[in-house]
Amino acid sequence: MGCVCYVLSLVKRLFFHCGFILMILLAGCGRNERMDAVYAQRCLNCHGVSGRGDGTMAVSLPVAPPDFRQTVEKKGNSQIRRLIAEGKGLMPAFEPALSPSEINDMLQMVRFLSREGRQISWWEKFDTLVVAHCSIPWEAVLGYDEPAAEKKL
Amino acid sequence: MNTLRGLGYCRFGLAFLLNFASLASAANAPHLALKAVERREVKLPIDDFSLIDQDGKTFQFKNLRGKIVVVAFVYTTCPDVCPLITAALRQVQTHLSNQERKNSYLLTVTTDPEIDSPKVLTGYAKRYGAELSGWSFLTGDQATLKSVWKNFGVGVKRKARGLVDHTPLTAIVDRHGVLRFAYIGPSPDVKSVLGDMRFLMTAS
Repeated sequence: MGCVCYVLSLVKRLFFHCGFILMILLAGCGRNERMDAVYAQRCLNCHGVSGRGDGTMAVSLPVAPPDFRQTVEKKGNSQIRRLIAEGKGLMPAFEPALSPSEINDMLQMVRFLSREGRQISWWEKFDTLVVAHCSIPWEAVLGYDEPAAEKKL
Repeated sequence: MNTLRGLGYCRFGLAFLLNFASLASAANAPHLALKAVERREVKLPIDDFSLIDQDGKTFQFKNLRGKIVVVAFVYTTCPDVCPLITAALRQVQTHLSNQERKNSYLLTVTTDPEIDSPKVLTGYAKRYGAELSGWSFLTGDQATLKSVWKNFGVGVKRKARGLVDHTPLTAIVDRHGVLRFAYIGPSPDVKSVLGDMRFLMTAS
């Protein structure tokens, strides 16, 4: 009986985790308004509507912002995430002002814009899945960071 | 795309509320890039204040008496004109001679204390290559900062976390603690700022 209960609990957990992961993957696999909004608020002025470095502020900057179509393909997600979080040159550091999920939204937006009008490489097709995968708080999902139970004296 | 076009355009729309003149600051961000910086000659005594610098130490404004002080109001996550203002200040610092550096000081006062902790300000200063022997980045509690902003005539309005509307002011304060020149706009002209500083250094 105990064995059956154990197996059932495992199946239940499996279903829960699969559903959770699937939900996050689906949510992270398309461009959405949240990404548009965070990009519009924080990036648009310099990087421009299409991410070509032609925002209204760009002309005033000492160094022209990059065209995402030429630079983003060469960078990994962690590299871009670090750039967004820590800033570079005149670009602000958005950590700790933005949450990790907002930084991921920015990252995905940058990826989307970098693909417009160019032939995408095969590995880039999996970018959104990778980003979505990285967005999952795995420690929380798998219970790694659960506080240790207090010992009763 | 409509969202992109519709959002993120309102920046720095607050009026510059100095008691000697009513200065209208730039209204919308896209126009700021094209709009020239407004330079005003003023005479506004600045009260002493105490804030926290990038090292977490107390910074007393009155300790700068006898020096020409350039004060800029920015915040580190600003996606608009603040980077231009800080870059201009860095240019000013590099163009000062050793003697001029002894007689002057640069201050950057945050308009977003919620985000701009001393640690964040340290990273910001580092990114701009600021020489901290003659430049401090200040933060503090909301109440103290409010009185400083008010004294300088800077309007500040929080829009979201890490997003603030504020008057883009760069002020030059003389050695007696009187605000003499006010630059309102995205990127104060480095030569003009240096000229005003040198004028005040030679003036009695």
